[in-house]
Amino acid sequence: MSTAAGADHGHAHPWYQAHHFKNMEQQNAANKFGMWLFLVQELLFFAGLFMAYASMRFFYPGTWLEAAEQLDKVMGAVNTIVLLTSSLTMALGVRAAQLGNNGQVAAWCAATLAGAYGFLVIKYLEYSHKIHVGLLPGKWFDFKELTQTNTDAPQLFFSVYFMMTGVHGLHVVIGIGVIFWIMLRALRKDFSPENYSAVENVGLYWHLVDLIWIFLFPLLYLVR
Amino acid sequence: MSSSHAIGHDHEHAGGHITPLPVYFAVYGALLVLTVVTVAVSYMGLPPLQSITVAMLVAMVKATLVGAWFMHLKYDAKFNVFTFLAALWFMASFFVFTFYDLASRGMVNEVTGQHVLHKDMDEQKK
Repeated sequence: MSTAAGADHGHAHPWYQAHHFKNMEQQNAANKFGMWLFLVQELLFFAGLFMAYASMRFFYPGTWLEAAEQLDKVMGAVNTIVLLTSSLTMALGVRAAQLGNNGQVAAWCAATLAGAYGFLVIKYLEYSHKIHVGLLPGKWFDFKELTQTNTDAPQLFFSVYFMMTGVHGLHVVIGIGVIFWIMLRALRKDFSPENYSAVENVGLYWHLVDLIWIFLFPLLYLVR
Repeated sequence: MSSSHAIGHDHEHAGGHITPLPVYFAVYGALLVLTVVTVAVSYMGLPPLQSITVAMLVAMVKATLVGAWFMHLKYDAKFNVFTFLAALWFMASFFVFTFYDLASRGMVNEVTGQHVLHKDMDEQKK
C-alpha cells in the first residue's frame, strides 16, 4: 500500500473526478440519475399537495369558484412569464457550461437570479394584499364578502393556496441559493465540457420548480 | 444521436448533446403563447369542468416542452426518462385510487344510512 496522497496513487484523474468512478462519463451519468431520483421524489411530494387541492375542490366546488376569484390573474400570469423566462436563461446557462464558457454561465445565472427575485417580489405583493384584507387560511380568515355569500369554507381554499404557493416559494428561495453557488463556481472557472454536471443538475432543479408552477398557476388562478 | 448541431463537430461533443439556440427560443416562444392561450380561455366563461380540462391540457403541453427540451429528456439516457414516467405513473395511481374513494362515499351513505361528507352532516343538523 502506497502512502502517497492525492492524485499520485497509481492512476491519474482530474480533480473533479471522484476516485471511485471509472471515467467522467460514468460519473456524470451517476450524478444525473441521482438528481432525477431527487426530482421524482419532489414530484411525489407535491402530489400530496395537489391531492389536497383536488379533494377539497371536489367537496366544495362552489367555494373554489368564488374564492379563486379573489386571486389576481394578471399578477399570476406575469409571474408565470417571469418564471418561464428564468427557465430559458437557466437552460442557456447549462448550454454555456456544456461549451465550457464560464463567463456566460455566470451571466445567465445572474439573469436567472433576477427572474427568481422578480418572482418573489410579485409573490410578496400578492401575499401582503391577501394578509391585509384577511384572505387567510383557517381561523385567520377574515374576509367579509366571501363569508356572507353561500360558500361553505372559503378559508380552505386559502389554506391550500398558501400551502402550495408557500412550499413552491420555498423551492424558489432554495433555487436562488444553489444558482448563486453555481454562479460563484463559474466565476472561479470551475466548469468545462467534461465537468458541468453541477450546472446541469441545478438547471434540472430550476426547471422542475417551473414545471410545478405551470400546474399551480391554472389550478389556483384560472379556476373560472 | 444526430450530430448536425451548430458547433459542427462530427463526433458527440464532450458536453453531451448541445441544443441549438433557435430551438431554445422556439420552445420559450411556444411556452409564452400557451400561457396567453390559457389565460385567454379563462376569460371565456366556460363551465368549470371544461375550463379545467382545457387548462390542464395546456399545462401538460407546456410541461412536455419544458421536460423534453429545457430538461433535455429528449436527448437524455432512456433510464432517466423511465424514472420520470414511473413517477407520473405512481402519481396517477395515487389520484385514481383516492378519487375512487372520494367519489364513492355517497354509495356508503345509501347502504349504511350514515353520512360521510361534512356538507351532508351540516345539512342534517339543519
